[in-house]
Amino acid sequence: MTAQLRFNNVTLGYDRHPAVHHLDGAVASGALIAVVGPNGAGKSTLFKGVVGALKPLAGSIGLSGVDSREIAYLPQVAEIDRTFPINVYDMVAMGLWRQCGLFGGIGRGQRQAIERALETVGLTGFESRAIGTLSGGQLQRMLFARLLLQDARLIVLDEPFNAIDTKTCSDLLDLIRHWHGEQRTVLAALHDIEIVKAHFPETLLLAREKVAWGDTGKVLTPENLAKARRMCEAFDEEATACAA
Amino acid sequence: MRKNLIAAMLAFICVLSSPALAQEKIRAIATFSILGDFVKNVGGDRVAVTTLVGPNGDAHVYAPTPADARALADAKVVFVNGLGLEGWMTRLVKSSGSKALSIVASSSVKPRRSADEHGHDADPHAWQSVANAKIYVANIRDGLIAADPAGKAVYEANAASYLGKLDALEAEVREAIAKIPADRRRIITTHDAFGYFGAAYGMEFIAPQGVSTESEASAKDVARIINQIRKQKIPAVFLENISDERLIQRIAVETGARIGGKLFSDALSDEKGPAPTYIDMMRNNIREFSIALQS
Amino acid sequence: MLYETLIAPFVEFEFMRRALVGVCALAVGAGPIGVFLMLRRMSLVGDAMAHAILPGAAIGFLVSGLSLVAMSTGGMIAGFVIALLAGLVARTTELKEDASLAVFFLISLAIGVTIVSLRGTNIDLLHFLFGSVLALDDHTLLLMAASAVLTLFVLALIYRPLVIECVDPGYLRSVSRLGTPVHLIFLALVVINLVSGFQALGTLLAVGIMMVPAAIGRFWARDITPMIAIAVAGGMISGYAGLVLSYQTGIPSGPAVILFAGILYALSLAFGTAGGLLRKLFPGRHLEA
Repeated sequence: MTAQLRFNNVTLGYDRHPAVHHLDGAVASGALIAVVGPNGAGKSTLFKGVVGALKPLAGSIGLSGVDSREIAYLPQVAEIDRTFPINVYDMVAMGLWRQCGLFGGIGRGQRQAIERALETVGLTGFESRAIGTLSGGQLQRMLFARLLLQDARLIVLDEPFNAIDTKTCSDLLDLIRHWHGEQRTVLAALHDIEIVKAHFPETLLLAREKVAWGDTGKVLTPENLAKARRMCEAFDEEATACAA
Repeated sequence: MRKNLIAAMLAFICVLSSPALAQEKIRAIATFSILGDFVKNVGGDRVAVTTLVGPNGDAHVYAPTPADARALADAKVVFVNGLGLEGWMTRLVKSSGSKALSIVASSSVKPRRSADEHGHDADPHAWQSVANAKIYVANIRDGLIAADPAGKAVYEANAASYLGKLDALEAEVREAIAKIPADRRRIITTHDAFGYFGAAYGMEFIAPQGVSTESEASAKDVARIINQIRKQKIPAVFLENISDERLIQRIAVETGARIGGKLFSDALSDEKGPAPTYIDMMRNNIREFSIALQS
Repeated sequence: MLYETLIAPFVEFEFMRRALVGVCALAVGAGPIGVFLMLRRMSLVGDAMAHAILPGAAIGFLVSGLSLVAMSTGGMIAGFVIALLAGLVARTTELKEDASLAVFFLISLAIGVTIVSLRGTNIDLLHFLFGSVLALDDHTLLLMAASAVLTLFVLALIYRPLVIECVDPGYLRSVSRLGTPVHLIFLALVVINLVSGFQALGTLLAVGIMMVPAAIGRFWARDITPMIAIAVAGGMISGYAGLVLSYQTGIPSGPAVILFAGILYALSLAFGTAGGLLRKLFPGRHLEA
C-alpha cells in the first residue's frame, strides 16, 4: 500500500493546548476515509494540519506524491465574501488555478470542463448568477464544482453536508463515490453516523486522541462511540507539559 | 572785582553745561522705516531716531506696543506720514500723553486718489515719487528746527546734502525708465503702492484680477488673469506674494510674461537686504522693473 | 452657448487642458484601485494612507521646497512603510487593518501639517491639503500618466489572484503562495496612486478620486469589470465637470472635482440600477420565473 498521507505522532493545537493529541497512522493512496467524533474532537484542526494551514505543535504530517498546494480542501466555514460581485462561472473557474496560473488562458477544453463540473453538481443555468444570490445548498454545490476542477489526488472535506438538503446530499455522495472510483484519496469529516456506515469503508474515530481507526464496521461500535463521548471537550487551563 | 568773579563763574557754568547740552541727542520718533531713514539723514548725530514699524513691517496694520507708548512719551518730536497711513497713531499719541511736537511729513504734498481696498480716500504712498520725498525731507528739516532751534545750521546742511542725493536719484530713475520701451512700461503687481511712482515717471501699475494671497485660486481666477495679461499686453508680473511658484510659472508660460523679482514699497528691508535705505529701495525697484521689462 | 461653457475654456487655456489630462490620468489609475479598496472593505484604510503620505511629502518639502521629486519620494517612502506595516499586521495578527492604525494615521496628518507650517505659508499648506491641479507642469503630468500606466499594467498582472484574494482568501492560501505578495503589491499601487493624486488634489482629497467613483460604480454594475469601467468613467466626468465648474463659478478646482463626483454619487444612490433607492422603493412587478 502506498501511503499518501502519514501522521507521525502528530500533535496539533492552539496556544500550546492540544486539539489533536499524538495521532499516529497512515492514509493509503486511494482510500475513502470518514473522520468522526464529537464536537471539539479535533477534526477540523486535523484537516488544517493536513493542508498546511496549521503547524504541528509536535510530530509531523508527511505527504507523498502530492504537494500541499495540490490538495483540494473544503473548509467547514468558508471565508467567502458573498457580497463580492462575482458570478458562479468565474468562481468555479478558480478551480483551474493550478493549471492556468496568472496568465493561462481559458481555452475551449477548460470551458468544457467548467460546464461539465457545473452539470455534475446540477448547477447548469447558474453561470451568471451572483454568488450572493445562492442558497446554502447551491453554494456548497458550487464549491464542489470548483473542487472537481482542481482535479486533485487528495481531497479533504470538512463537514460538507452541514445544512444541505437530502437530495443534494445524495448527489454529492455519488460524486464522492465517483472520486473514489478514480483512485483519488478522500478524507471527509462527518457528523451523521448513518451516512458513514452506508458510504465510507474506512473510519477514523477521533476524540482528540485516536479512539479507533480501520474498517467502518469495526470502528463504529457502541463501546468505541461511548468512549469517544467521554472525551473532555474543554482545554484544561491547569495542564502541565506533556511528557510523551 | 566781585562782578568779574560772578561773570567768570557764570561763563564757567555756561561753558561746562554747553557740552552736556550738546551731548544729549534730540529724541525723535518716526512711524515707519522709510520716514526713519529720512529723519536719520537730516538729523545726523544730533537726533536719536526710534522707528515704530521696523524693516519689512506693514504700517497699514501695525499694532503698537506699550514700549512704543513709552518711547512716544519721552520723545521731543514725532514724524508721521499722514494721508491716512497710520490710523493707529492718533490713539497712541493720546494714550501716551506725549507732549512731543507732531510733524506730518507729507503736508503740502499733492495727494492722489486711492485705488486700494484699505478704505482710504487718499493714497498714502507719496514717498514713491522722489519729488515728494524731497518735500518730506524739507518738512522734516523744518520740524527738527522747530523742535531744536539750536541745531538749525546742522539740519539745514544735512538736508541740503541729502536733497542733492535725491536729485541725483531722480535723474537715475528717469534715465532707467527712459531705457524701457514706451509700450512695455506696464506691470501687474499685487502692491497698491506705486500710484505716485507711476504718475511721476510714466509707468502703469495694474492690479491682478482675482489672484489673491489669502485663498486658493480657482480656474476662473487663473483664466481671468491670463486674459488680462494677454489683452492688455502686459510684459511682466510681480506676484511674489503668491507663493505657489508653479502657478506663477504656468501663468508666465501661457502668457509669455516675465516673472519679476522682489519689490519694496511700504517698508525698507533689513541691513542685509537689498533695500536698507530709501535710495537703495528706489534703486532696487527700478532695477527689477528694468530687468523684467527689457525687450 | 454650450460651446462657450463646456469647450471654450479648454481650447483657450493651456492650464485647463493640462488639468484635464491630469485628472483623467488620475481617474484611469485610481478607478480600479478604488473599486478593489471598496470591495475589500478598505475604504478607510485608503483614506488613512492618504494622510500617512503627508509627513513624507512634508519632509521632502522641508528639504527642497515644492520640488516634485522630493515630495513624491518622501510621500512614497512614507506610504510604502505604512502599507507594509498595515499589510503585515493584518496578515500575521488577529488585528484588522483599520483598528489601531487609525490613531497612527491621524497622528501622521498632524505631524505633516506641523512640518509644512514650519517652513511654508498658509498657501503652501492649502496646496498640500487640497492640491494645485491648475499648476501641473510637465514633470508632474508625466508622473501622473506614468502612475496610471503602471497601475493598469500591474493590475492586469495580478488581477486573478487579487480577485480570489478578495472573495475567498482561504482558497488562495490553499492553492498558492501568492496571497501575501499580491496584497502588498496592491497596497503599493494604492500608495502610487495616492502620491500621484496628491499633486492634483492634495492629501485630503486624493483618496476622493479613488473612493467616490468606486461607490458610483457599485450602484450601476453587479459584475466587477463593468464596475471598474463605470468608476473610471465617473472619475473622468467628475474631473471634466469639476474643472468647468471651477472655471465658471470661481470655486477652487480640486474640491470642485470631488464635489461633482459627490453629485454623481447622490444621483447613483437614488437612481442606480444595481441597488439604488428608486429601484428598492419601486421594484416593479415580479417576473414569471
